[in-house]
Amino acid sequence: MLRKEQNDLLTQTGPGTPMGKMFRLSWQPALLASELPENECPPVRVKLMSERLLAWRDTQGNYALTDEFCAHRGVSLWFGRNEENGLRCPYHGWKYDHTGQCIEVPSEPTESGFCKKIKLKSYPLVERGGVLWTYMGPPEMQPPLPEWEFAVVPADRSFTSKRLQESNWLQAMEGGIDSSHVSFLHSGELNKDPLFKGSKGNQYNMGDMKPVFEVVESPGGLYIGARRNAEHGHYYWRVTQYVLPAFTMIPPRADHPVHGHFWVPIDDENCWAWSFDYKVTRPLSEHELTAMHEGKGIHNEYVPGTFRPRQNKDNDYLIDRAAQKRGDTFSGVYGIAMQDASLQESMGPVVDRTKENLVSTDNGIIMARHRLLRALKAMEKGEIPPGIAREHQQCRSAAVVLPPDQPFKEAAKEALVVQAGKEHATV
Amino acid sequence: MQSESARMSSAAEARYRIDAPNSQPRAVKVIALDAPSERVVKMLAERKWSRATFFTASAFGDAPKAGESFAGWLSDLAGRTKNLVEEVDAADLVVMVAAAGESAQAASIIGEACSLKRVMTTGLILGGADKSDEALSKTLSHLRPWALMLVVASAEEYVEDMLRALRA
Ligand code: FES
Ligand SMILES: [Fe+2]
Repeated sequence: MLRKEQNDLLTQTGPGTPMGKMFRLSWQPALLASELPENECPPVRVKLMSERLLAWRDTQGNYALTDEFCAHRGVSLWFGRNEENGLRCPYHGWKYDHTGQCIEVPSEPTESGFCKKIKLKSYPLVERGGVLWTYMGPPEMQPPLPEWEFAVVPADRSFTSKRLQESNWLQAMEGGIDSSHVSFLHSGELNKDPLFKGSKGNQYNMGDMKPVFEVVESPGGLYIGARRNAEHGHYYWRVTQYVLPAFTMIPPRADHPVHGHFWVPIDDENCWAWSFDYKVTRPLSEHELTAMHEGKGIHNEYVPGTFRPRQNKDNDYLIDRAAQKRGDTFSGVYGIAMQDASLQESMGPVVDRTKENLVSTDNGIIMARHRLLRALKAMEKGEIPPGIAREHQQCRSAAVVLPPDQPFKEAAKEALVVQAGKEHATV
Repeated sequence: MQSESARMSSAAEARYRIDAPNSQPRAVKVIALDAPSERVVKMLAERKWSRATFFTASAFGDAPKAGESFAGWLSDLAGRTKNLVEEVDAADLVVMVAAAGESAQAASIIGEACSLKRVMTTGLILGGADKSDEALSKTLSHLRPWALMLVVASAEEYVEDMLRALRA
């Protein structure tokens, strides 16, 4: 459990909040590059950490992320005309460039220079790995561009999707490090999903429903090692990575692409679940890409024209009670992403952590909260939070079989960091 | 019409989650395995807890010497001998605290008692970040066979955070 003040502290990310400050100190995925496919294309509304912004791309191809509303009388610039190196408000014609600077106020004499006095708040927006990233913190603390491996491998080796999750970011992220739910909630998928099935590790997973966990602090956050019995007295370890504040990476299976998530607050009651899949040494196959586009693995299908999942709370996630009873899926909801989302959204927009009864196997979640709270305290004293340094971002999850006495953190040292040109360690 | 899930997962409906307690206090026994962790455990023992109690096994080795009884393999923080098996029997969770680099040898005897009584065990290793991997693996190798959940933490405060999170 958490006390109410602690729960508030970790779940609120609007301007001026401590947790909001931590998110704002690192680059966050804002939208997919494909949402702004060409110069002068229609702008896109983006809400992040409770700030309403507008993403757009000008005539020269400059990306812009600006205040959504016109400085004149507050019209949403989503209705704006994207023309000749700027976005023009359709109400009275005020025009802004990609930095948010007002460059034309038609009602005022040009010579007066009035427009120079008007500037919309704007944030940098940079493409990397098919994702447009933004940094919303103080300019003097802006770190170098993100180095997460999925975003820096060649474009044909990685696939990223995002979906709307109608819950606070923290309960979504906690699902990403809650290793003990996999053998239950997702048990139906391990051997059926085209992006999971056929790995030796799955047999260990299913053969040994009660893994033993080892939670180990890492420089950027924590490793969560799930240990199961393998042959000859060896252990099969699946090591998940969590990097503060909101990056999680699931251990690989066989030669399947490796995947993970970012859980980015939209406001305190909604978040973006970003899901990436990549391989280091080979392009994703036709077959894999088709499966990802169809919403398999950790991806999902959509309500057409939106990023809201096709299975959502308005249709009870298309729960199939007969399938639940038959055991086709453990919960009756289809698909890994929606199995998680349905349950996490069912907790309510911000789960009341004063009522929970955590047990020993929840130490991954307990440690993640402890690290976040500790990092917030240190940040108040001027320290840079974990997750911003390049070394923290160059991390990997791993699946390895090790002799019984070896600490996985030591034995899998190389497997847990980026090795240029080498695949993930996987079973 | 709005679906059941849509209506019920709203903020407005969240207010109606009933406020009745949904659990009873758990008995957690926290046992220091060595002198450095005994210092941490002593500090914790002075704070207010629901049903956590604190012990030390730092003076004991990995097996009773001739004439020593297995039952007395534990002492409270004032140095009074306690019956290990009885204490374990009354526990919902046993937390063993060890400092990285220490031998944690009492873990086997405590672990054995827990496995006899089917009690959940958690091992906490403190100071893992500043110790060499070799020192850490020494502690790990004693704790791993007996801890169903193992945590390697860098900050002492983790012990308190974890116990509070578990409502101890
Ligand atoms: S069993 Fe974990 S939330 Fe119900
Ligand atoms: Fe899940």
